[in-house]
Amino acid sequence: MKTRLAFSLALASLWHRRRVLALVCLTLTLSVSLLLGIQYLRAEIRQSFTSTISGTDLIVGARSGQLNLLLYTVFHIGDATNNIRWSTFRKLQEDPRIDWLIPISLGDSYRGYRVVATDSNFPEHFRYGQEQPVSLAEGQWFSDVFHVVLGAGVARELGHKPGEEIILSHGGGRTSFSNHEDTPFRITGILEATGTPVDQAVYISLAGMEAMHVGWESGVAIPGRTLTPEKARGMTFTPDAITAAYVGLKSPVLTFQLQRALNQSAEEPLSAILPGVALSELWRLMGQFEKALLGITGFVVITSLVGLVAVLLTLQTQRAHEIAVLRATGASTGLVASLHVIECVALALVSCLLALAVGAGLLTGIAPWLLDNYGINLTLRPLNPTEWALLATVPAAAALVGLLPASATWRRTRTQGLGEISGQ
Amino acid sequence: MTSTTETRHNPAKDGELALEARDLGFQWASSQPMLRFPDVVIPRGEHLFLQGASGSGKSTLLSLLSGMQVPHSGSVRILGSELQRLGSGARDRFRADHIGVIFQQFNLVPYLSALANVTLPCRLSRVRLEQTRPDPDSAAKELLGLLAIPEDHWHRKVTRLSIGQQQRIAAARALMGSPGIILADEPTSALDSDNRDRFLDLLLGLADDRGASVVFVSHDRSLSRHFHHLVHLGGES
Repeated sequence: MKTRLAFSLALASLWHRRRVLALVCLTLTLSVSLLLGIQYLRAEIRQSFTSTISGTDLIVGARSGQLNLLLYTVFHIGDATNNIRWSTFRKLQEDPRIDWLIPISLGDSYRGYRVVATDSNFPEHFRYGQEQPVSLAEGQWFSDVFHVVLGAGVARELGHKPGEEIILSHGGGRTSFSNHEDTPFRITGILEATGTPVDQAVYISLAGMEAMHVGWESGVAIPGRTLTPEKARGMTFTPDAITAAYVGLKSPVLTFQLQRALNQSAEEPLSAILPGVALSELWRLMGQFEKALLGITGFVVITSLVGLVAVLLTLQTQRAHEIAVLRATGASTGLVASLHVIECVALALVSCLLALAVGAGLLTGIAPWLLDNYGINLTLRPLNPTEWALLATVPAAAALVGLLPASATWRRTRTQGLGEISGQ
Repeated sequence: MTSTTETRHNPAKDGELALEARDLGFQWASSQPMLRFPDVVIPRGEHLFLQGASGSGKSTLLSLLSGMQVPHSGSVRILGSELQRLGSGARDRFRADHIGVIFQQFNLVPYLSALANVTLPCRLSRVRLEQTRPDPDSAAKELLGLLAIPEDHWHRKVTRLSIGQQQRIAAARALMGSPGIILADEPTSALDSDNRDRFLDLLLGLADDRGASVVFVSHDRSLSRHFHHLVHLGGES
């Protein structure tokens, strides 16, 4: 067949009808952008999700399921089933296999954000993403009992600056009626945005956690028994229990050995989980949702393609004369029919290119804003093979739907007389 | 259906026939009556006037002569080839190689320029390309010039041109690459009488130069004096 002629005729015909087709092309571009965008974000979010915590070999907490432990220690979702005794934590500190430990004590909140009590090992050893440490955007880490460091999201949302004093609340929840009003905390630092749950918490020392709960043994403040900051400064505080601990090992080969030892601990019922394994299990659960989302987007693209065919079929009646001319001049039925397929594919390709441009432009435009406002870190990267494959399905699907008007034309022109107009 | 054939010249003495159609019969559907056509014989280089009112089967006859349809009885031979022996693809190629067509109107591909419309046969047929001297563009420009299409219209969108100009561009396309036969289906019916005579003179003159036979269909008998042969199709209307 006259391939070159077919292509040049199809392209000339597309250009001739550009006004009508521009709208179809726009619809297709938007739906392809959506499809590609969702697939892209899926990969990005998965990446950022699985790099919520890195460098930590084990998370140790009271005995519970691994998802539960992961959710309340890393994502600050849900509550701890139990605490682990301070003496157990001390024993872990002496374990020769363990390199470092970050104690985590949860339970209080600040205007809906979790209060995480920890020690100086947190800034030193906690890692997220590609082994990135948590760093300070402003100020410094707590050095006093009543110092607090805010996650980037908290500081941004509530507009806090270092030097301000804040009152923490007893227990969780956004509106707590029992506040630790006698023990205000001074903000000493604000963390750099990480795009992880670290941004959505406030950090105090373990001593601070203990100090503000003196006099709260019954669950509410007993007047006269709570401490004032002045009194507290002269004292040393040793916690009875902590919620969990992040564990870094001297050698990763010891991970499973220590995990087994901790899970079988006779002194206290403990659970030790591998964060990576738990994260991928959690992602498998959530993955269903994003697969459904991708499926829906796929249907959006199919809808646009159906719209494209509808327009092409409508245009077909207008094209009856030109088809009669081409046939009379000696063009085969195949050539005339192939014009439809070529036009469909060409439109799909143009839409794909535009979608790539739209996607890249949008991403460049909104990435800084997303990071600032939502702590979501998106970067422009080359498409991965899956995304290319997904993009390639669009012209392939266009070729398939193009066969509809093509076969209609082919059937009609086969039985047509000279100069006869199809569609009549 | 009645028909008459008048021939002002003797038919060709030798076997060099441009067109030979005998005992043609065609049925559009099995429920419809069989259309019968008079025999048509045209020696090479001579022209035929096919006269008939609408409904007389002119379009059907042209479809058979161009190989768009195959007769149910009888045979069509063009330049020595029997059309019904060819498959549909081969008939398309034969039409591209040896037949030029001009319609009543809407003759041009709307998204191609005048020049691209004229060179179209050379892109569809190697035979027509090889018969075009020196090259399609120059030949097309020469034809457009001879057919009095102003040079500034050559690259213009054909939909902006007048009907007369469009018909002359269609004639140029039919003449490109010197096909043996030109089928013209009422090409002048949309033109006024001045334009009609000029068009006919140009078409026949250029066809003579290229040795092409013109089969000219019209209901207007006054035009028949320009032709060697006259076939009358009697319609029911």
